[in-house]
Amino acid sequence: MTNAKTIGQRTPRQDAGAKAAGRFVYGMDFQLPGQLYGAILRSPHPHALIRSIDTRRAQSLEGVESVLTAKELPAGLLMPGVVCDQPLLASDRVRYHGEPVAAVAARTPAVAEQALQLITIEYQPLPALVDPEEAMAPGAPLVHEGWEAYQAEQGLVRERNICCHATLRAGNVEAAFAQADAVVEETYSTESVHQSHLEPRVATAQVLPGQVPTVYTNTQLPYWIRTNVAHVLGVPEETVRIVTTGIGGAFGSKLYPQIEPLAALLSQRARKPVRLLVPLSDELLAGLPRHPTKTRVKSGVMRDGTLVALQATMVMDGGAYAGSTPEIASVAVLCLAGPYHTPNVAIDVFGVLTHKTNFGAYRGPGGPQSVFALETHLDEVASRIGMDPLELRLRNLLDEGDLAPNGQIVTAVGLREAVERATRAIDWHEPARPNHGKGLSLGWWTTTLQLSSSEALLDENGKVFVRVGTQEIGTGAIMGGVRQIAAEALGLDVDDVMVEVQDTLSGLWDWGSQGSRTVSNVGRAAQLACQELRLKILTLAEQMLETNRDLLEMAEGCVFAKESPRDRISLKELAQRSPEGVLRSRAESRPEPATYDKTRLTSCLYPAFHHPSFHCHAAEVEVDPGTGEVRVLRYAAAHDIGHAINPTLIEGQIEGGVMQGIGMALMEEVLYDSKGFRTNTNWTDYKLPTIADLPEIEAIIVEHPSTLGPHGSKGLGESPVLHPPAAIANAIAAATGERFRSLPVTAEKIALALDKAAKPAPPQRR
Amino acid sequence: MPITISLDVNGKTHVLDIQPQETLLQVLRERLGLMGTKANCEEGECGACTVLFDNKPVNSCLLLAVRAQGSPIVTIEGLTEDGRHAALQAAFVQEGAIQCGYCTPGFLLSSAALLDRNPAPTQDEIIFALSGNICRCTGYTKIVRAVKKATPGVVSE
Repeated sequence: MTNAKTIGQRTPRQDAGAKAAGRFVYGMDFQLPGQLYGAILRSPHPHALIRSIDTRRAQSLEGVESVLTAKELPAGLLMPGVVCDQPLLASDRVRYHGEPVAAVAARTPAVAEQALQLITIEYQPLPALVDPEEAMAPGAPLVHEGWEAYQAEQGLVRERNICCHATLRAGNVEAAFAQADAVVEETYSTESVHQSHLEPRVATAQVLPGQVPTVYTNTQLPYWIRTNVAHVLGVPEETVRIVTTGIGGAFGSKLYPQIEPLAALLSQRARKPVRLLVPLSDELLAGLPRHPTKTRVKSGVMRDGTLVALQATMVMDGGAYAGSTPEIASVAVLCLAGPYHTPNVAIDVFGVLTHKTNFGAYRGPGGPQSVFALETHLDEVASRIGMDPLELRLRNLLDEGDLAPNGQIVTAVGLREAVERATRAIDWHEPARPNHGKGLSLGWWTTTLQLSSSEALLDENGKVFVRVGTQEIGTGAIMGGVRQIAAEALGLDVDDVMVEVQDTLSGLWDWGSQGSRTVSNVGRAAQLACQELRLKILTLAEQMLETNRDLLEMAEGCVFAKESPRDRISLKELAQRSPEGVLRSRAESRPEPATYDKTRLTSCLYPAFHHPSFHCHAAEVEVDPGTGEVRVLRYAAAHDIGHAINPTLIEGQIEGGVMQGIGMALMEEVLYDSKGFRTNTNWTDYKLPTIADLPEIEAIIVEHPSTLGPHGSKGLGESPVLHPPAAIANAIAAATGERFRSLPVTAEKIALALDKAAKPAPPQRR
Repeated sequence: MPITISLDVNGKTHVLDIQPQETLLQVLRERLGLMGTKANCEEGECGACTVLFDNKPVNSCLLLAVRAQGSPIVTIEGLTEDGRHAALQAAFVQEGAIQCGYCTPGFLLSSAALLDRNPAPTQDEIIFALSGNICRCTGYTKIVRAVKKATPGVVSE
């Protein structure tokens, strides 16, 4: 693009002013006249049989207008999914602490809460499977006795409690281990962490006789919500209207239909609008947090640092239902392979069912767990052969045109530059002071593809509107990135372009604000629509100005002749004189997926990283040897994102992802007790990083343009969260000489390890 | 039994009949329609519901409305109307300190209170003043930068 006016500019996003003034309307602020208030009754047991449910007292409570249990649903109703194993409400058995069993709608929230307490359920508690390794052992009790009969995606390998076994095989690892100069083998584990979006999950449904069934909700994926709501209402998808409200943070949490189908059914039964909100305690009890994992990594390396073999086996705790686990397992396969050209690779990821909440898609799902295992391991390898960890990476990383372990050829590879710039930012080669240490982490990540749609129009007042089918979730991808791409394609100032998010009746189908895809895919659809609209405008102006359209230019709300700017027509006048009325154009983006070697993978639903991004993070920490407290002193994160549409927004994604990753590294942890009960369901006991916990983060933009997104952009949103656990654990190891292989690396763990290392073993008592 | 209270919100006096257990957050949002004050944890951890009470930032979810009488209350709507902190709000917009924006009103009110009592805060004073507000999007780097930009005095390290 020549003479880019808006691309690369730090233009404030369209929604920032309203947000700064407190005028922005979120899902939490949305209300319908006469709305009822919904509430969900959840299982108090991790695993139990339901003997009976009695709702009579709740139903007769003054102000209660609708009560819903499995009995009111079609018999055997299971929700859509990769494996169709999940009921909307538990009927005969509960499989996790917090599973929905009943729902009510009442005139006030207080009456709804009271009604929940009047529902009597007789449970027969059963022992819970808490440890996924026990759950996958032969002979373990089944989480789903009927697992074989479930409808499931083709090609998915599953067996009893294993809902997915994804594999990658390249070369011959055993032969390579035999020839390696050193073989290193260790086990790494990560705990679940929660998205902790600041705005609760909330939906308001209006399903009334003779009207289009409508749900207003703060979702990232309206068309998947539509599928699910239509499924429970038993109506065709295209008859359901999903309207996305403003969203106060999501991070993958708001992809799945946790409340919308229930809200729709409650409204249908009550014949009134119903607002259903998930309070924070329930969100932390039974949301869709990140998968806990345990990974055995074994690698073979030559004395010169060449990695010859990598074997990794990850056990991923999926919780009680398959949900997104099968897909995420295959993402973990690719992350465990890493951005390295290791010739012999054998990776197995097991998604395993247990009696816990359905672990789900939190920003970069499967990523930080895999990167923590691999990148911590590589530091151990470097230490074993006495090599600088940076040197080891530089010897093995992927360069332009290399073959990644899944057989895909990588292009637009900015990895080497990212490594150089991130390590330089923390003076990698300068020796660290006492109790200080430096660590790094490298990786690659995908740009999710699939369909996006957009419509651009010039209305009768000469204003340009760009319409898209998926919501701004906070990243700025829609209200910043897409808007700037649209303005650039039109040749107009950003202020002359208004982006509008449409509901599902618009038919602007979109695979949603997820998977680091929004700028590249929604932006691409908007770019195509705007290019076509520009052509329509110039064609019309050509007649009106009697000037060849190639000689016309658009700016400041006018079309004018480049050579004689006085020959001009305002967009308003042009629109009003337009014989076809409002000028509009519509476009879709449906890019080609990456190719890979199918013989190397089995049961991988996400087998390749499309237009991959590459990144390197480098951290310097100081560890207090007395208390084990970690202070992150410097943190540099370099991301190859193809091309920066808006550097401010890109830095914001990097800085925010790093913050969440630092939380995972040092303090955040979704806790279960040994019997399967959730324990820390508030933000006092579940610790989030505050402003006082973080250093100033240095975001470094690397630009190796892809052939996918507008102006060469590729995905960014998720990748910044991948690296802090590994980079910080490596820095702590460098500072203390102690290796921490389980997250979070709390001050307590460090202090205990340092204490143990300092003291000689106590003498044996006779 | 409802009780009658009088609140001074954004320079206007509101006489209201409320339930004694209602929090200031509930009264602001549900009775006065001031939706700019955000709700989530309702236990004083997230800071999204921060408002100024007697010029000090407070978690409105933890303050009973009956106890919020007698001193002025300022919400984000009042801050915007008043205009004295327009530069602070503009700095949040310009610096990219706003992503999802759900924490923004709380951060703005905590920042405004800081600048009102201390026009030349140090870096540590800024961090201390904002440590009761959680942001899950930005990583805080740009929030600190925005407050520094809006600081009339010079920020020392």
